[in-house]
Amino acid sequence: MIKALAMEFQKIRRRKVWAIVAALISVQILLALWGVDRMDAHELSQGWMHFLYQFPILNSIMMPVMAAVVASRLCDIEHKGQTLKLLNTVMPAGRLFAAKFLCGALYMLAAALLQIIAIVMAGLVVGFEGSPPLDKLLYYLLFTTAVNLTILLLQQVLSLLFRNQMIALTVGIIGSFAGLFIMFFPQNLERFFLWGYYGVLMLVGMDWDRATRISDFYYMPVDWTGFSILAVMFCMIYIIGRSLFIRKEM
Amino acid sequence: MFLRTLQAERMKLHHSPVWLAFLLLPVLPAVMGTFNYLQNIGILQDQWYSLWTQHTLFTCYFFLPAIIGVYCSYLFRLEHLNHNWNAVITAPVPVSYVYLAKLTSASVMVLLTLAWIGILFLISGQLCGLNTPIPPELPKWLLFGAVGGMVICAVQLCLSLVIRSFAVPVGIALIGGVSGLAALAKGYGVWFPYSLLSLGMRANQPGGTMQCSTEQFVLNALFYLAVCITFAVVWLSFRPGNSS
Repeated sequence: MIKALAMEFQKIRRRKVWAIVAALISVQILLALWGVDRMDAHELSQGWMHFLYQFPILNSIMMPVMAAVVASRLCDIEHKGQTLKLLNTVMPAGRLFAAKFLCGALYMLAAALLQIIAIVMAGLVVGFEGSPPLDKLLYYLLFTTAVNLTILLLQQVLSLLFRNQMIALTVGIIGSFAGLFIMFFPQNLERFFLWGYYGVLMLVGMDWDRATRISDFYYMPVDWTGFSILAVMFCMIYIIGRSLFIRKEM
Repeated sequence: MFLRTLQAERMKLHHSPVWLAFLLLPVLPAVMGTFNYLQNIGILQDQWYSLWTQHTLFTCYFFLPAIIGVYCSYLFRLEHLNHNWNAVITAPVPVSYVYLAKLTSASVMVLLTLAWIGILFLISGQLCGLNTPIPPELPKWLLFGAVGGMVICAVQLCLSLVIRSFAVPVGIALIGGVSGLAALAKGYGVWFPYSLLSLGMRANQPGGTMQCSTEQFVLNALFYLAVCITFAVVWLSFRPGNSS
C-alpha cells in the first residue's frame, strides 16, 4: 500500500497539484482575514468564535471545488494515458482506488491544517480575547476534514468512472452551490445533503440583532448524530464507488 | 469561413450534455432564493428588487464564473486530446477563427443562461404574488450581465487554451469569482474581469445606479475582450504546435 501511495506521488511529480490547492486556500484565508484589523472590543472578545463561524461558510463555497479539482487532477492522468488497463495487470483495482484517495486526502488535510494555522496566527496577532480554544479548533479540524474527505471521495468516484471530467466538476460546483444555499434554510434540510455538512457540523451559531446591528456568537453542542450520518455516507460511497470502479471496463 | 468554423464547434458539442449544467444551475437560486425571500419578507421590502438580490446572491459571485470555467475547459478538451492540436493548426482556417468560434459559442451559452435567469425571475415573482410592476431595468441587468459573462468566457478560454488540465482553469475561475467580490467591495469592480458579471447584473444594489458609468463598463469589457483575443491569437500562432 505504501508503495502504491508512493507511486501516486511519482505520477503527479511536476504536475503541481499543490499549486491550485495553495492558491485556493490563500484566497480563502485572505477573504476570511478581510477586516479583522478593524475589529472593535466587542468583536475582539468573540474573535475565535467569529472565525469558527465564518470558515465553515467559506468552506462550503470553496472546498467542494478544491476537492473536485484535486480528484480530477489525480484521476485524469489515468484516462489521458489510458493506463488503467495496464495498471490493472500489476495491482488490484481496489488498491489503486485506495492509494488515489489517500493521496488526495493528504492535500485536503494540509489545506485544513493551513486554515487552523492561519486562524491561530491571525488571532494572536490581532489580539483576540483569551487563548486559542484548542478543543474547538481540534473539533473544527476533525469535522472539516471529515466533510472534505467525503466530498473528495465522491469526486474521485465520478472522476474515475467518467472519462469526461466535465461531469465530476459540474456535480462539484452544483453541489457546493446547493450546500451553501441550504445552510440558510431554517429546517434541517442540510442533513440530507452531503455538501450541507459544513453547516451541520458548525460549532458556533450567530444571533444578529437587526436594531443594533451587533452579532453575538455562541458555542453550539457538537452534533454527533450528524457526524455519524456523515461517517455512514462515507462508508457507503467508499463501498459502492470502489465496487463500481472495480467492475468498470478499464 | 467563420460560419463553417462555428459549425465545426457546434458539431464538437453535438449530443454533449453540457447545456444541462446551465439549465440546472439557475434553477437552484431561483427556488432557494424565492424561498429565502418569502421567509424574510419582513426585512426584504423592495418587492421585485429584493427578490432580485436573493436570486443573484452567490450565483454571479462564485458559481456562474465556475460553471463558465467548466464550459470553456470543455470547449478546449477535444483539442488537448490525442495531439489534436496538430490537426487544428494545420487546418486551412485562420487561428483567430478557432478562438473566436469558441468565444461565440460560449457567449451564446451565457446569453441563453441570462435569459433563463430572467424567465425564472419573472416566474418566481408571479408565484410570490408581487403586485408592483416588473422592474423596467430587468433587460438591462441581464444584458450587462451577459457582457460581463462574455468577458469571463474570454479570460477562461485563454486559460483553458494554455493549461492542458481540465480542472485547473475551473479552480482559477472560482478564485477569480472570490477575488472579484473583494474587488467589488473595494470599488475596483469595473477593473477586474471577474467582477464585471456581478457589477453588470447589479447583484447588490439593483435599485440604484451602477458603481461606474455605463461607458466605462462597456469600455473595460471591450478592453478585456481585445486583450484576450490578442493573447489567444499570438499564443495559437506560436505555441500549440510545439507543445503537443
